[in-house]
Amino acid sequence: MKKSWMLGGVLMGSAVLGTAVDVQFYDEALPITLNPLFATTMVDHRAHELYFDRLYYNDMSDNSVTSRLIDDSQTKIEDAGKSLRLTIKDGINWHNGKKFTAADICFTIDAMLNPRTPSPIAHYYREHLAGCTAEKSNVAKVTFKRVYHNPRERLKFFVLPKSEFSSTAVQPDTEFANTPVGTGPMKGRMGTMAARFEAHTKTSHHDPKLAGMKMSQALDPAVQINTLRNGAMHGIVSVPPIYRPELQTESEVVVKGYDLRSWWFIALNTKSGPLATKEVRQALNYSIDRSELREKSIGFDKNDKESPCEFISGPFVQASMYYNHEVPSVEFADSRKADALLTAAGLEKNGLWFHEGKPVALRIGMDAKLDKEATDLMTQIANQLSEAGFQPLVSKISTDDWNRKAITGQLSKEYDMLIGKWSFGMNEDVNDLFHTRSDTKFKGRHNIFNYSNPEVDATLAEYEKARTTDSAKNAYHKLHRQLADDLPYLFLWKLDTKSAWRSEVKDSNITPYYYFTDIDRWYLSK
Amino acid sequence: MKLWWIQPLARAVVAVALPLSVPALITILIWALPGNPAEIICPPSLCTGGEELAARWHLNEGPMAFYFHWVSNAMSLDFGQSWRVLTGKPVQELMVQTIPNTLLLIGLALIPVTLGSVMGAFQKPAKVWDPLLVSLGVLPVVALALLAAAVVELNFAGASEDGLGYWSRMIAAALTLGIADGALSGSILGNRSIFEQENQQRYVGISILRGESNFSNTLPNLAGAIVGQYRTRVVQLLSAAVIVEVIVQVDGFGALLFKGTLKQDFGVVLAAATIFALISSSLLMLQAVVEVFQNLHMRRAPVLGLDDVGGDL
Repeated sequence: MKKSWMLGGVLMGSAVLGTAVDVQFYDEALPITLNPLFATTMVDHRAHELYFDRLYYNDMSDNSVTSRLIDDSQTKIEDAGKSLRLTIKDGINWHNGKKFTAADICFTIDAMLNPRTPSPIAHYYREHLAGCTAEKSNVAKVTFKRVYHNPRERLKFFVLPKSEFSSTAVQPDTEFANTPVGTGPMKGRMGTMAARFEAHTKTSHHDPKLAGMKMSQALDPAVQINTLRNGAMHGIVSVPPIYRPELQTESEVVVKGYDLRSWWFIALNTKSGPLATKEVRQALNYSIDRSELREKSIGFDKNDKESPCEFISGPFVQASMYYNHEVPSVEFADSRKADALLTAAGLEKNGLWFHEGKPVALRIGMDAKLDKEATDLMTQIANQLSEAGFQPLVSKISTDDWNRKAITGQLSKEYDMLIGKWSFGMNEDVNDLFHTRSDTKFKGRHNIFNYSNPEVDATLAEYEKARTTDSAKNAYHKLHRQLADDLPYLFLWKLDTKSAWRSEVKDSNITPYYYFTDIDRWYLSK
Repeated sequence: MKLWWIQPLARAVVAVALPLSVPALITILIWALPGNPAEIICPPSLCTGGEELAARWHLNEGPMAFYFHWVSNAMSLDFGQSWRVLTGKPVQELMVQTIPNTLLLIGLALIPVTLGSVMGAFQKPAKVWDPLLVSLGVLPVVALALLAAAVVELNFAGASEDGLGYWSRMIAAALTLGIADGALSGSILGNRSIFEQENQQRYVGISILRGESNFSNTLPNLAGAIVGQYRTRVVQLLSAAVIVEVIVQVDGFGALLFKGTLKQDFGVVLAAATIFALISSSLLMLQAVVEVFQNLHMRRAPVLGLDDVGGDL
């Protein structure tokens, strides 16, 4: 009774003050930008899903590639498969009331193809797209660089309004980045303390039932949990594992899975000292006790039947069709195997392991933001490696440095091991993580320690050339086995991401990766 | 005493130099950091167009050109756009939005501090209360701010940007700021001690014999010290405001500076740090002016003869 009174008071207060906010929620942070070309964080992607429409997206019910903007019954494949002729649905309007046209689609593609647009996201699309022509106001012809068996998969970008930009060289620091104009289900702006959303109803393709939403930055997890229980907030996008049991017993709160297809890893510097030897990397794999790590850093309870964390042996989550279940994961440490491998690699043990007369020191770094989900993970790993006879030196890496340096291969000289997490949408393409780096050929852009293995490159090429799902699957199964043997990464686990929403928020289906794709259905029961 | 003007002159020189040296220091920092800030948005190995972005932010012609460009624009109140805190938003608009909140916060926090100073000047409260005051001063600002943040968030959460929620947040933050880290107890005990010492001066005793109040005699002599102490307290509050605004989530200027630093938004950091420097400069200048007037006043005062004090000294 007290909680509903409080929630009522808050909502009434909002109404009196003229802010049409139905639903308020905490996200991990506020978006860095509302211009989708410059998204860098998951928070950005989630917010952009509210303000904009992607040209194509995966339908939540059957995972098919579909579109709110394109009438796919009229889509035609042309130029022997290298072009798609797209016809826009009728009655679609931008937030500013202007009509959505083919010129907007072509503007977005031209902006991404313009090398003066300083966007890593655009850089990705330059690999696939060749150009776009607006043939009529409602017909756009998109041309690809080569034939793809799934061309629509390459068109999942957010569409920008041509009228809001003076040039196709789109810059990140314009007013658009905080007051965007999109076709998405919500319009609004970003403030210093919150991002606000208001329903976009003057269009044919969206009919959100929520009048408005407000995204606030997450505070201390304990305060978030209590605020949600009090009813002063409606939702939390990411609940740390240790707080989940507490919320699961709450009758007025529903804890929901958020499928990010994310997995955790320790990248190994395959060019650094003893780590250049495969046996040493394999020994490290046996020196890590994942079971103990899970217990100590995630708070995993052995009696808990629904583990938030499942071990993996390769670069995919177990639910993925690409996961090779024939390759077993290593759950416990095995010092005998580790010692045998290290001895075979020519290392000597004298209390510590020695390589070429020097004790083996391992410089370990971790993306600092992971500490929220797995407290003290880096320290626990360091402790285990220390027990195994290595000298760990640990330091955390800021998220900016992680994005700017770690994933672009610029920390090879500073670190031997980097602890991180990759998140994927429905497209689990890992080629960029393991292919030999080549900036000119758009290869290996996220290869952390510039790992290079010709056999792995050949397998990645097989995947790229695959024209059927089966052949793509076979290529990645093979990749999984190769990587589990060569170990450029020590694969740790998939850690579930869970959200919590108050029960009065109905039909709140959470879509993988982008979260709010299905927001039109969400409503608040009175 | 002939060189009394040196101290206020030094203060005035520092006051003028501070707002120019702070952006110079930040500019040196930008160039000292590895890479350039445009690479945060566009790492060279992941995208093209970074050079154009660097040129847009005037990072391509060296630190001197960057500094003079920024300073000349700032003189005409053009602080450019935010790079990352609220990307694309003019920094001036961000300042207009946040400065009033910080001023209000400092103003509210100064109420207990000022009342404490006045009480201290009148030797209140009695020394028997000192242990309580000292223990109040030990409370760290971070602890109090966390408590205030939790209380406000639990009760108002997302609805605390206007109305009752807003005022609850501001008052909780102001009380935290005005009490923690010895702000209140320092102002009471500090002023009481200054006036106590001054009251023991012989001229005060003489003025009492003449039937005057000791306060009217001590105040002109202590004006410089009091203004100096007040300036220190305001600067202290300004610094602590950064912590309090961040923790209690006040949409203030300190929080803006913090976010700018965290996100390496040098557009915001340059402007915010310079404004902080300007505030500090203004207070320094005020102290210098008061010192000048105080010295002129003391020099103008008549020299008293024996007859004037009515005694045989």
